[in-house]
Parts: sequence; structure tokens; C-alpha cells
Amino acid sequence: MKRSFYASAAALALSSGMAMADAHGGLVFPVGEGDFNWASYEAFAAAHDLIGQTVTISGPWLSPEAERFEALLAYFEAATGADATYTGSDSFEQQIVIDAEAGSAPNIAVFPQPGLAANMAANGLLTPLGADNAAWVSENFAAGPSWVDLGTYADQSGADQFYGFFFNVNVKSLVWYVPENFEDAGYEVPTTMEELIALSDQIVADGGTPWCIGLGSGAATGWPATDWVEDLMLRTQTPDVYDAWVANEIPFNDPRVVEAIETFGQFARNDAYVMGGAGAVATTDFRDSPAGLFQSPPGCYMHRQASFIPAFFPDNTVVGEDADFFYFPAFAEKDLGSPVLGGGTLMAITDPSDATMAFIEFLKTPVAHEIMMAQGGFLTPHSGVSLATYETDTLRGQGEILLNATTFRFDGSDLMPGAIGAGSFWTGMVDYAGGADAAAVANTIQQSWNAIK
Amino acid sequence: MDHIAGRKSGLSWAVHFSALALVIVWVLPTLGLLVSSFRTTDQIRSSGWWAALFPAVQNETYRTADPDEARVDLGDGIYLVSGNIFVEGGAAANLDEIVREISAWGASSRAIDAYQPDEVADLGEGETLTVTARGDYEWRGTADQIEGRGARIFVTVSAPPDFTLGNYQNVLFDPSNREGMSKAFFNTLTVTIPATIIPILIAAFAAYALAWMEFPGRALLIAAVVGLLVVPLQLALIPLLKLHNDIGIGKGYLGVWLAHTGFGLPLAIYLLRNYMVGLPREVIENARVDGATEFQIFTRIILPLSFPALASFAIFQFLWTWNDLLVAMVFLIDSSGETTVMTRQLVEMMGTRGGDWEILATSAFVSIAVPLAVFFSLQRYLVRGLLAGSVK
Repeated sequence: MKRSFYASAAALALSSGMAMADAHGGLVFPVGEGDFNWASYEAFAAAHDLIGQTVTISGPWLSPEAERFEALLAYFEAATGADATYTGSDSFEQQIVIDAEAGSAPNIAVFPQPGLAANMAANGLLTPLGADNAAWVSENFAAGPSWVDLGTYADQSGADQFYGFFFNVNVKSLVWYVPENFEDAGYEVPTTMEELIALSDQIVADGGTPWCIGLGSGAATGWPATDWVEDLMLRTQTPDVYDAWVANEIPFNDPRVVEAIETFGQFARNDAYVMGGAGAVATTDFRDSPAGLFQSPPGCYMHRQASFIPAFFPDNTVVGEDADFFYFPAFAEKDLGSPVLGGGTLMAITDPSDATMAFIEFLKTPVAHEIMMAQGGFLTPHSGVSLATYETDTLRGQGEILLNATTFRFDGSDLMPGAIGAGSFWTGMVDYAGGADAAAVANTIQQSWNAIK
Repeated sequence: MDHIAGRKSGLSWAVHFSALALVIVWVLPTLGLLVSSFRTTDQIRSSGWWAALFPAVQNETYRTADPDEARVDLGDGIYLVSGNIFVEGGAAANLDEIVREISAWGASSRAIDAYQPDEVADLGEGETLTVTARGDYEWRGTADQIEGRGARIFVTVSAPPDFTLGNYQNVLFDPSNREGMSKAFFNTLTVTIPATIIPILIAAFAAYALAWMEFPGRALLIAAVVGLLVVPLQLALIPLLKLHNDIGIGKGYLGVWLAHTGFGLPLAIYLLRNYMVGLPREVIENARVDGATEFQIFTRIILPLSFPALASFAIFQFLWTWNDLLVAMVFLIDSSGETTVMTRQLVEMMGTRGGDWEILATSAFVSIAVPLAVFFSLQRYLVRGLLAGSVK
């Protein structure tokens, strides 16, 4: 449910980006021009000759992401002479399991989240990428070890292997605001959580309302609060604690989790902090909640939401001018670096071949990322890319947040079992926003988790 | 006597009041939906539908023209940007069509009603801004001040009621609108009309046979039909879909017609049989004596006499198939997206357009318009047919 919102919102927001014609011999950007790292492309082309070989890739991307990815495949084909094809499917997650079990898997599968890849690895349906690639990711991706961890799963015999190469990620730790409203009031963008809380208090003292928070989302009501709690977990506890929490190695009602929920409560259950008062949080639709930013006078000054939310801003809102975002900062005193919460798609090998390994090599070149960046709708943690190639300033800003990250963690509620991450966690947060005790809510969620074990 | 009459009138008052309350409970939301479907996005955001007929005082934000293109050099290093916020902001087509009136305005989001119309706002260091009641503005200052983006102007305006057909245009007739209702509307009709007619046809024959033709096992058959009434249709969804797939119907209109027919038949037969049993025996026996065949009795006598029962069942079946989502999802809607129905379209829209009330209200009204028309044109048969069928 949640993922389909993102997908449709992203499609709405990005459908404008695909206007490039195949005017350069089938390549969207002519080789050798622009800010692209063409040297890495030439070097890759010189080192690989795969004429007559094929690479098949299947994944969940449909139009327009599919066209963008096919534009990238054209470069791979031009560089190596191999034939690469991509097939997108609406029901990819069911399809790939059936295909892999039946022995008719594509060479590479694109997974929308790690859970399914981990399951397939445990069944011996994936081929490890090897320690060299793990070391490369650790070295060349910002917050590298996080990406290695997210791509490492137990194989059939239970040994941990590196399987998943992340390609296209998104950022959720964003706070949206209207720069001109900040200017009018003389507010500065906060760089630490302490400053953010001080700014919120300042806005209250000035007679304004700092936050717009809405948890409503039909049957999925409550999910925006899970993102808040996950973000605050990363800002109050170490990544290890976060991982243990997501895997239920520490219980949901652990004091550290309750603390994160209560930190969310400092924002959402504070009548002075939230537009409409704390009582409105659970009933306001998440799509309506950013509207307060654009009211006259401003209904609120800040809105924490993932990168898809501009699709729900009023018509004609120019992101970067009328509205902008900053990184949801970390506590300076906690010394936890700059954690980033997000999601992403990862590639894993389902049927190995020489050309397939060469394609993974291709994905390691900066230019492969830059070609996707320049077409829009794509963010990368690859630290070797030229940020100038991002299609828009908005994407560039989000790309910078990714590169400055010291920790990256996947959206925890997407990693938890469906009954929790898309069930009792959501409803628990609605109860909490409605005034229930944090510890009691955490107990209830842990009980539902015990019930499915 | 007074005592008894008083009690009676007290009861009838209670009936009247509860009827009135029910009418209000049902009519108010429908009316709100209807009014909202004709309002513009701005109006919906600024006031409720009950205030639609009155001028609304609302706070709006406009922006002056872009200084880099529109500024005029007045000499002495002073530049001017002038124009009309309503025309440039799209609230009026041209200067003659301005219907809004500014009662207060401001140049900062911190003080949106700091100035009266025609007042000159001093923005510091010689930069000035002035706005008239009808939205004409003049923004003066040095080259450094008059640059970048246009200045924001916050106005408190009184806007007259504004109704539009644009929502319907958008929902029904815009071919580029992927979420449009026109295709879904015709798909729903394609599902509904056969799914109403087929069960009535079959049920009328069956009801006649069960009511008036003597054959062994008739009572058992009637009992079986009544028994089927309590079987939940959810039980049959998956086996029936499997059967459809096995015999090659798959997902499609034929499948959904058959499913609706099957699910509707027990009630249809039961209702019609009970009605037909109540018809005067003499009429039918006279016809038999006069040499009429069973088919002639059925078409010439029974059908015309049963019209109220047929109509009331037709309304039931029509409303149920029109509003159905479950059966359509299982037996009709596939991944091609060509066979979506209105209920499904509305559910999708709740997800993707949950904040756009004007679109949701319009789409919802499109989907209830036909059932309303059907109900009002046939409602006089409804009560008669129902009572005649079930109460004797």
C-alpha cells in the first residue's frame, strides 16, 4: 500500500522528465559531452568485449523508470557489444520467485526491498557478488558499510554473503519548508536537532505553529508516524540498536524504542507545535497535511516527509523556489553522525554469466549512475559521481544528503513482517497520537509480534 | 378518548420526526457532494459547501510580475514593476472581469493585513509597495531591490461565489485524464444492464413454474432456493473463478454477468414466486379452462400482473450490481486496465487523489447519478412489490 503511494506519486512527479529523444545513435547523452565521467565509460568499454552475449534483467520498474533504465542499457550495449534487455512487471515480486524456482530466471533481478532478496538467497536462488564487490561498495558508497549490510544475507547453509547491489535509492529524512516564510520571519535552517527544537520553540514564541503532521492514509493510516519514529530511532540510538529493533532482537517495548516514540510525541502531541493541535494529527490526511505550509498566514512552517511529497503540494508550486527541504538533523550531543532513512532498489544475480558479471562492473562505473541521474528520478550514494549531472537542484540536494550520510538505514516498517510493519505499528502509532501511553502502545505491538513468531 | 387520541398522535409525531431525521441524514451528505462537485479547488479549501452561496472572505497569496522581465527604468536608479495581481495570478481573465475586492493586504507572511488598500508600504531603504482595492500594484525601488523573484503580496479578499463545470469536464470528458470516469461509467453500464436483465428473465420463468406448475419435488426445490439465500457469495468466489478459467471464460464481461446472475437468482426466484403465488387462482384456472397453454398464461396474465415485483427486484439487482466492487474485482478487472468499473476507480482515487475533494465529489456524484435516476423513476413499484412479495 505504502509502496504503491510512493510509486504513483513518483510517477506523477517525474513523468515530465522523459522528453529526451534518441537523437544520438540511440544514446540519450552523446559520449564525451557534458559533466559526465566519460573516462570511466571509455575504460569500461576498452576492458570488456562481450559480442554475442546477452544479459536479461527483470524488475518492478514500469514506465517511465523502465525507459530510463533502457536508455542506460543502450550504453552498456554500445560499450560491450552485448545484448541487454529489461522486462518490467507489475507483479514482479510473485513472478521472480516462480521463475527462479522453475529455473527460468533472468540474469539479474531488481528487488524493490531487501526482504524478498533475503528469502531468495536463503533458498539458494541468488548468486553472491563476492567479497571484492562488498569491499568496493564499502569503499565507494557514502555510508558504505550500511549498504553492504543491507545487501548481505544468509545463504542456504546460513553463511552471510554479499548479494545485493543498491541502484537507485530514495531519502525520507527530509523537512520541507517555504524559504520565503523563513526569510520573512528571519529563521535559519537548523543544522542540529537541538537547533530544530529551538527553532520550533521560537516559532511558537512568535505566535506561529512550527509543524504540520498528518497520519491519515485510508487503510494505511499511521504510516507517516512510523517514518518519524524510525528517523528518531536513528537519531537517539546507534544503528546496531536500530537493526536489532527491526529484527525484533530487542523487543518493541524496550525503553530505547519507547524513548524514540516519546521523542516523536514531543512534536506530535504538543498542541502548540502542530497545526490544528495534537488532536488533528491522527485525522489529518498525509496528502492534505503539507497544505498548511502554503496558507496565508502560514499554517505551519515545517513538514517532515519523504522525497515524494511535492506531488501533493498545491498546483504550480516550484520546488526549490516556493518550497524547499533540509536534512532532518541529528542531535549534536549524541554524536551519531548523520543518519539517513530511506528506501531503494537493489540488483542481485539470479543466473550468473560472464556478461552478467560485466554488467555489475558497469554499475560500478560513475557514468552508469550519472546517466540515470541526468534523466531524473534517481539518487545514488556512489561517491565518485559528478553531482552536476543531477537533473534538478532538488535531486542534487537529496543526492548531497545521501553523500553526507554516515549511516543509511532502510525504512524499518518495510523490513518488519507485514502484520507489524503494515499493521500493528501503524495502528499503534495512531493510538499513540490519540493520547495512549507510549509504553502501552509498544507493549501491544510487541504482543502482536510475539503472536506471529 | 382524548387520552387515546393523544397517545396516537404522540406515536405518529415520533414516526414523523424519525422519518425527517433519516431524510436529513441521507440528503445532507448527498447535497454536500453535489454542491462540492461544482465548486473550485480554492473555494473548497477556503469554506465549506454550506457557505457556497455567500461571498467568502479568504486570505490569498499572489506574486508580482518577475522583475527581471517586467521592471521599468524610471531614471535616477529607480525601477518600477506594476500590474494587477488578480489578472497575473489567474483569478480574473482581464481587468474588466475582476470580481474580488481587497480589504487588507501585507508584504510579509508575518503581517498579512498590515496595510489598507492604496496605502504605501515602506519596505525599508526607499523600497515601496502599494496595492489598490482591485489588485493594481506598484513596486518601486533601486536595481538591487527590484530583482530576483516577484514580491509576494498577501491579500484578504472578499470573493463572490464561484461555480464551475470544470470538474465534470475534467472527470468525464478529458481524454488525457487517466483517472477519468467516462470509460469506467460505460464499463459499469455494460456490467449492470445484462446482470440485471438475465436473472430477471430466468427467475420469472422459474418463479412461475414453482408457483403454479404441479410437478414432483417442487416443495424441495423451493426449500433449496430459500436455503441458498443464506449461503454467503464470498464462499463461491474462488471456486467459481477457477471454474471460469477452466472452461475458458476467464476474466471478462461474460464471467461477471454469469456471476451476478448466479448470486442474484435465489433472491429473485424467492421474491417473484411469493408474489405470483398470491395472484388469484381463479384467473389462472379460467385461462386453463379456456385452453391457454402454460406459456400463454405466463406471458399474458402472470407477467403483466407481476410487474411491481419485477420492477422492485430490478431496482435491487441494479443497485447491487452498480455498487458492487467485490464481484467485479474477482471476475472482471484484469491487469489490462481496460475493464475497470466506477467503484474500483473511486477506490483508486481515494488512494492517489485523497486530498482533491472536488475531483472525488464529482466522481462520486457521477457514480450515484444513475442509481438515483433509476430509483426515483421506479420507486413507486418498490414498496408495493416488496410488500406484496413477502407479507401476506
